[in-house]
Amino acid sequence: MDNKLSIHFREDKKTFAPGQAVHGAIQWSLETQPHSLELSLFWYTAGKGTRDVGVVDTLTVDRPGSFGSKDFSFTLPAGPFSFSGRLVSVIWALELTCSEGKETVREEIVVSPTGREIVLGDETWTEDRPRGNPLERILGRRS
Amino acid sequence: MKARHNPFAADRVETIRYRPVGATFAGILARLERMNYRAAIVGPQGAGKTTLLEDIQRVLERRGLRTRKVFINDSSPLDRPTRRQLMSQLRSDEIVLVDGADAIGPAMWTLLKHRILRQAAGLIITTHRPGRLPTLIDCVTTPGLLGVIVTELLPKEHDIEGPTLDRLYHRYQGNIRNCLRELYDLCASDSSDVGSDHLADDSLSSMRRLRR
Repeated sequence: MDNKLSIHFREDKKTFAPGQAVHGAIQWSLETQPHSLELSLFWYTAGKGTRDVGVVDTLTVDRPGSFGSKDFSFTLPAGPFSFSGRLVSVIWALELTCSEGKETVREEIVVSPTGREIVLGDETWTEDRPRGNPLERILGRRS
Repeated sequence: MKARHNPFAADRVETIRYRPVGATFAGILARLERMNYRAAIVGPQGAGKTTLLEDIQRVLERRGLRTRKVFINDSSPLDRPTRRQLMSQLRSDEIVLVDGADAIGPAMWTLLKHRILRQAAGLIITTHRPGRLPTLIDCVTTPGLLGVIVTELLPKEHDIEGPTLDRLYHRYQGNIRNCLRELYDLCASDSSDVGSDHLADDSLSSMRRLRR
């Protein structure tokens, strides 16, 4: 039997406004009986600088047994918003981990007042930008 | 390109561990043991000294040895309160890892070295020049090493042209870290989104590991 962890969002909704509630359920089907499962709501940065991480809320399920499910509900803070620039992106996600083993499942969400990831400098990028794939231009393409 | 998709983003670069040129990691560890954990990792900037020190720390801890890492640079100097705290907390079973020993003045270094070696189980440092402790390894880079690292970071379907890589390597005088930063900027300056997720380890647990 494979170990399976999953995160399901109510009505498959993965885009939220700041301050909104994130509802859903976690499901697990494991070979062992772990001490606990942990669901974390967090954001992290990715880009040129050192990664930053902020854990907003955590739900712990003690002695969950080898299979089952549990509803969750987190209230999002006012920020930061999901966004991307050239130097840094802020990414929101939920992650479900098992106290034993390496099973982990992660689902990204978008937290934004516009309903989309905010892309900094979006307009300027469309003007006078070089054409084509930058990696191909800079580095070439494998044959 | 969005920062999150940049193949040369810091979190992806951090997944690349030290690659000894002309040596093996097991050989370095064996030599370190023979040196009684009193050794210097020597090399220029961007040659992988800090990465190697981190890798050594991980292995020592896996072997059940206690380590204490001290990072020194201009914005994080080894001032008097920090020195006092370090010396008061030192344990006889600890191996002290000093990243950036060049930043300690010669007189202070002599004092600190003797006190640490008297009180702790070992002292491993990174430094640009040899002489402060017996040299464990002289970290060197090559254009080929840069090529291997870049190929690993790039999306599978992309490759690097040798001359481009050589130019970059020589422009930064073998500083691989700066070469990768330049490549980050080159990718960031374009609006196309062709990044790779294949090497990213974005799990919260891995982030916590990296922050420790």
